[in-house]
Amino acid sequence: MEVKPEVEKKSKDWEPRILAFLCRWCSYAGADLTGSSRISYPPNVRILRVPCSGRVNPLFILKTLRGGMDGVLVSGCHPGDCHYTAGNYNARRKFAVLSRLLEYAGIDPRRVQFSWVSASEGDKFAKVVSEVVAGVKALGPNELFRLNASKQTAQGPQSHRQ
Amino acid sequence: MPENTEKELIAIVSRLFDEGRIHHFLGYGKGTVKFKTTPLIARNREDLQGLRVEDSCATNLALYLKEIKGPVGLLVKGCDSRSLVTLIKEGQVKREDLYVVGLPCPGQIDPAKVAQAVGFESEELEEITLRGSEVAVRVGGQEKALPKTLALLDKCLNCQYPKPLIFDCLLPGEYAAPIPQATLTDDELRKKPISEKWTFWAEQFNRCIRCYACRNVCPACFCPRCIVEENMPQWVSPLPTMGDNFVFHLMRLMHVAGTCTSCGECQRVCPMGIPLMKLNEKMTDDLRELFEFVAGVDPDKPFPFRTYRQEDADNFIK
Repeated sequence: MEVKPEVEKKSKDWEPRILAFLCRWCSYAGADLTGSSRISYPPNVRILRVPCSGRVNPLFILKTLRGGMDGVLVSGCHPGDCHYTAGNYNARRKFAVLSRLLEYAGIDPRRVQFSWVSASEGDKFAKVVSEVVAGVKALGPNELFRLNASKQTAQGPQSHRQ
Repeated sequence: MPENTEKELIAIVSRLFDEGRIHHFLGYGKGTVKFKTTPLIARNREDLQGLRVEDSCATNLALYLKEIKGPVGLLVKGCDSRSLVTLIKEGQVKREDLYVVGLPCPGQIDPAKVAQAVGFESEELEEITLRGSEVAVRVGGQEKALPKTLALLDKCLNCQYPKPLIFDCLLPGEYAAPIPQATLTDDELRKKPISEKWTFWAEQFNRCIRCYACRNVCPACFCPRCIVEENMPQWVSPLPTMGDNFVFHLMRLMHVAGTCTSCGECQRVCPMGIPLMKLNEKMTDDLRELFEFVAGVDPDKPFPFRTYRQEDADNFIK
């Protein structure tokens, strides 16, 4: 595998990559409306459609960060609007605990953000994405695990770990 | 621990075997290491002679209910009884299958901590005895008195449930009063800036060798197939890289949120000495603060992630 130099990620034209989990009923349709209303928003998000914000297992978020994405956005229907009645209420509880835990573990809350965007809120989706992108840009690239990989290499016996 | 406690226990359990009320009894036996006990699974009356009740009965015996099915008796401390409440609530064991014997627990001795406090190796210690609010240690022919804070397991210092919450009978002895909440120790790390938190945890996760001892010893981890062993799709790489260790530990916390009773077994068995309880305590504090949920106390209160309220905290969501 080609080893990319560290400097590449730190260069001026670095742009964050953000994975957005959007609920199929509200936020995905909201993002669609943003596009069809010709509202522009930063192209840094990669959208992943999920059936419900309740489908987003905290593990998905952890794995996304571990995989090197610079930020995560999870968006679903407003409380009370869930297509499955209570998916977003249940999700909210998990996310409340997860976001506090991530903060305690040392991951800046700006890297993992949550929002409620309905199908009619095309403008809100654009605003949310802009805010998330601005937050992640201020933080810089996700080098949480990368920095440590180089430390491990220096120790020798663990060098096979990447 | 008074001499007669052991005899009393053996008498109670013998009677249970005679009456056919239990097929197994989970207790403590003499450990292979000085001052430590090891779990003992008695299958008949003869096995009971190995039963010991000492001042370091640290293991949470509720763990073995994962594998031992059918009518079973077990010895529990206050903290372990919370795991039982959780397991019953989760449908992992039936209350009517259990015969719970409560153990008076003044706090359990941590030999490694004592050894460190007196500046000796733990093999060199001759005797450790609990005397009221102090712990007397005999080492090198001398006797030293240690305050409880330097001799007991960390979890015992903040014990809120010294008396079992569910039991069928209690062994005679003194059941200590709960330690007031006000004396809870602060976790300094929580006040530190976020970059320092990451530096701290990155180093801890870097040391993890992924032996899964923390998972295996956890009474709240009872999935027949753990997600770390899942390989289609593979969620977490089995290689102990810092990144995958991070995913593993945080994921495990989310899985035991609501069932973790802070029994401290994960940290106790960790061969790398990773302070896992810091994470668990943060999580249990959050559950208490956000949802007024305390694990293993109220058998009728639903688990925090299986219920919701419309007015749950929403301020972190845009």
